[in-house]
Amino acid sequence: MLRAFRFIVDLFSQRHGVVAFAFFLVLGILIHASSTAVRESIVDKALSTVFYPVQLLMASVNDFRSLQAENDHLKAENARLRQETYHASEGLQELARLHTLVRFDDKWNFPIVTSRVVGHNPGRFLTTLVINRGTHHGVKENMPVMSMNGLVGKITKASLTHSRVQLLVDPNLKLSVLERRTRVVGFLESVDGHLLSAMIPSHAGVAEGDTLITSGLGGIFPKGIPVGTVHRVRKADLDVMSLMDVKPFQEFSTLEEVFVMQKEPDWIIQELLDE
Amino acid sequence: MSNYGWLKTLLMFVIAFAVQSTIGDWLKILDVGPDFILIFIVSVALRYGAGAGCFWGFLAGFTLDVYAPVEWLGANTIAMTIVGFAVGQLEEHFLTLNLPPKVGVLGLAFYVNDMFYFLITGLERDVVTTLFLTKTVPESIYTVIIGGIWFYLTSGKKSDV
Repeated sequence: MLRAFRFIVDLFSQRHGVVAFAFFLVLGILIHASSTAVRESIVDKALSTVFYPVQLLMASVNDFRSLQAENDHLKAENARLRQETYHASEGLQELARLHTLVRFDDKWNFPIVTSRVVGHNPGRFLTTLVINRGTHHGVKENMPVMSMNGLVGKITKASLTHSRVQLLVDPNLKLSVLERRTRVVGFLESVDGHLLSAMIPSHAGVAEGDTLITSGLGGIFPKGIPVGTVHRVRKADLDVMSLMDVKPFQEFSTLEEVFVMQKEPDWIIQELLDE
Repeated sequence: MSNYGWLKTLLMFVIAFAVQSTIGDWLKILDVGPDFILIFIVSVALRYGAGAGCFWGFLAGFTLDVYAPVEWLGANTIAMTIVGFAVGQLEEHFLTLNLPPKVGVLGLAFYVNDMFYFLITGLERDVVTTLFLTKTVPESIYTVIIGGIWFYLTSGKKSDV
């Protein structure tokens, strides 16, 4: 096997590696030029067959299971208590503002799946995590993912035993957010896979240090999950909008455990996603 | 490259990713950290030539791409294949590369890699400018320092080619 492998490699090494270079370059271009479905399939197969088992093995080296189970239980409970605290705080604000309206639909009555981060992008731009919970544990695509500190992202691909988490810094993830003090709605995204920025109407007077939470619009993330704080306010191309650098509550590169909220998208959003 | 050379490079490949995922995060200063994977590719290309350089560049780039946004799949793969090949060509045409040129090649490889990556991902010009100033420049300096130490420690070990 090794001899055959070496033979192929030696063949490619002729002409100072030009053959190998042309081959790998064309292969790379074909991968890049393929359709989204093919790319998804490539990533899924690569993760399932090679990368996930290797990373699981590496992540399991220091896994003390008995302590882990207790830890998971306590952390899940802690996360739930934090959610309730945030929810109560949100509820109080609403009651103060709106005496006649009572909104029960933004309660977080969703079960939580505790999971361990077993893999993440080792490169300089961290946009994806792999967790050790999948459809077998009740995890489905588009479920919100959070940590004890705040929102992390959502599930983009759920396999039987593991899932891919799309982080907030993924340029494909756009999120509707609400500024806690002014109650104005804007949207959050990352254009470069590195920094988070929010577009919020200028008239609202959102300033540095203000807090952004999920707005509940969009049907995937429930209202009230803390997202981050406004780090810097900049002028956008449009005068009516302000562009803000946002510092997320959760530092993604240091994540070890995350919580998957078993909330499926609202039916109308689900229909759109299915389409 | 001998069997031993292949196994050693495979081990280095795994170690480079493990180090990038662990120590790489700890070494970050103001969100700026070294790129051990690029150091690995440049090391392999300098030691074993262009063929091995683009092969391991392809593997490393693809590994990075698996965890990147799906729409960018292939960007790291292409960029690192080019870097591996280009550095290997330099090694073959300038066989007397000693420490300072090696470090220079690493710095150059960093910029070439990022330029191809930004080009393939199709990011907007102002975004690229920001990333270049906030990520590429400081991280290239950091990587060159770490890479320089690595090249110094491993200098003179070109016997298993």
